[in-house]
Amino acid sequence: MKNNYLLLVTNKTLIPKLSKESNITFLFPVEEFTVGFPNTFKIEEIREPHAYLFVNRLLDNEGIESFKSLLKDLPSNIEGIVFDDIGILQILKENTTLKKILFLNHFNCNYKSINTYLEYVDSVVVSTDITDMEVSEILEHAINPLVLYTFGHVSIMYSRRQLISNYNEHFKKNVESISTLTNDLGSHFKIVENKYGTVIYTDKPFNGLRYREKKNVWYHLINTLLLSDEEILEIIHKKDNLTEKYPYTYLSESETIVRIKER
Amino acid sequence: MVELLAPAGNLERLKIAFLYGADAVYIGGYEYSLRANAINFSIDELKEAVRFAHDLNKRVYVTVNIVFHNKDLDGLKEYLIELAQIGVDAVIVSDIAVIEVIKDNHIPLEIHLSTQASILNYESALFYKELGVKRIVLAREASRKDIKIIKEKTGLDLECFIQGAMCTSFSGKCVLSNVVTNRDSNRGGCAQVCRWTFDINHESEIFSMTPKDLNMSIYLKDMMDIGVNSFKVEGRMRSVYYIATVIYEYRHLFDKIKSNTLTECDILYSNDIINRCANRESTHQFYDKLPTHEEQYYLGRDEMSNQDFLGIVKGAKDGLVWVEERNYFKVGDVVEFFGPNMEPKTYQIHTMYNESMESIDVARHPRMQVFLKLDTLLPENTMMRLKVFDKNNYL
Repeated sequence: MKNNYLLLVTNKTLIPKLSKESNITFLFPVEEFTVGFPNTFKIEEIREPHAYLFVNRLLDNEGIESFKSLLKDLPSNIEGIVFDDIGILQILKENTTLKKILFLNHFNCNYKSINTYLEYVDSVVVSTDITDMEVSEILEHAINPLVLYTFGHVSIMYSRRQLISNYNEHFKKNVESISTLTNDLGSHFKIVENKYGTVIYTDKPFNGLRYREKKNVWYHLINTLLLSDEEILEIIHKKDNLTEKYPYTYLSESETIVRIKER
Repeated sequence: MVELLAPAGNLERLKIAFLYGADAVYIGGYEYSLRANAINFSIDELKEAVRFAHDLNKRVYVTVNIVFHNKDLDGLKEYLIELAQIGVDAVIVSDIAVIEVIKDNHIPLEIHLSTQASILNYESALFYKELGVKRIVLAREASRKDIKIIKEKTGLDLECFIQGAMCTSFSGKCVLSNVVTNRDSNRGGCAQVCRWTFDINHESEIFSMTPKDLNMSIYLKDMMDIGVNSFKVEGRMRSVYYIATVIYEYRHLFDKIKSNTLTECDILYSNDIINRCANRESTHQFYDKLPTHEEQYYLGRDEMSNQDFLGIVKGAKDGLVWVEERNYFKVGDVVEFFGPNMEPKTYQIHTMYNESMESIDVARHPRMQVFLKLDTLLPENTMMRLKVFDKNNYL
């Protein structure tokens, strides 16, 4: 069976290259409702059939009212929405038109939570912060097929603060809104800011292509941010898991430590 | 109902928090708490904590606010049942799995939603209200406008942070610690990587994300007016002295608000005391605007440690005040005592003795037992500090 991909689009040039492929659903970061993306889409720019909207901003009351307005005029090609804010879940509880996928970033690390949310949504994106084995356990227990974050840079911090602008203001600099951070240990990260906040990503893309073997998966989410069109085409079209080219497995191989004494 | 809510990392701090004026305390058990490296409470200690609080007609909330992994679910139901049997007044949770376990098993526990859930809008709050949540601990990013609307549209009890350290990130939305140190930030192991220093694109200046602390003392009255019910102090890892100082000052401000006698002088004086004790600068962060570069540090962990905390009064002996020392003090020092139900008292030390009742000029050793001759005795658990601020200068 062919894998279904949910392709989080950040580069408009990619769409025509993949629009004919039946197993690809495009996921568009929506202007005013996302953080961590240099390119976002206005609703009227989204013309692909069966398109999904990506809304990962945590919304204040004003944001939630704007989102309600956006829902009123959604064109018919919008099939679903992937979102983080529970307020959106509440608004969409009675909506049977849109497919709903909850991507509660850094939560949903266990099957009980996921099955609870599945009472309200069509699917849930499994946390990126758990091991391969934990992912399998969740899939085994899940009452509906789930979405797995299968490839891409991982968001590891989301701040409401405009951290790059603040740096520029403080030091009278002009650092760009997508930049590279390096800590004292030499670890690198990508940092992206817009007016709604700042997101830090892993420097390297997480390679979870091996997850394509797993059962009970509705979509494999591919985040194209910071990847070239050629890289994305290769990731989707090659059956190989590309582990040599993309060796970074993020947190999927060993469990994190809860208490220092466990070390 | 307006509540001053204090943190406590162990039983001693819990008792101090209550004695110094907290209406309620939040604590963690050995399991499922986001401060895994605090000492935390055993089941027996939880029982004693609840007994102590209820004897004073006060409340204890227990954090069960980790993000649960599959294996963490084992034993959760039994733990929650035990908390209910102990009589804790509420549990603070962030993971919907905990809410489900409580509901599925009809466990009689009041549920408060942790700030880890990052609630900023009323629709989110309504979702959890329908699940049976009684109180929302709002995201620290919530503005005055957001708080007011959430209150008006939901009628829920709202809890807001008023004092203490801030995360750079939305709480729960950061796993920098996991990635850099393999310590799980959402299961109590946060290594505070956001307080480290970075460079950005190899620019010459230090890139920092470190926020200054939160201090809402000037907005307490306004927060009460818009419907905040519980005023929360951060810091389950903080010391007895910090808890005593901060809770004492906020209690004082609360009481002044209640009696309609609060002055700007009171706020400025309390602010100086709190900030010095906290060792960091503070601001009011997101309440009235989006924080700018002025609400951050650019030199990493910019902490100003001091040795103001001199000792704790343990009682009296032969007409002398018995103090257990924490930091160096000597004859001639001007010191201040503050404690439960007393105004701060200033003394200059003229005469002091060691345990053998030999006259001494200097108390050098932490935990040393020292006896002071003052013009009055002082109750147990009174704090002794170096006098730095004089309230008369604020009038």
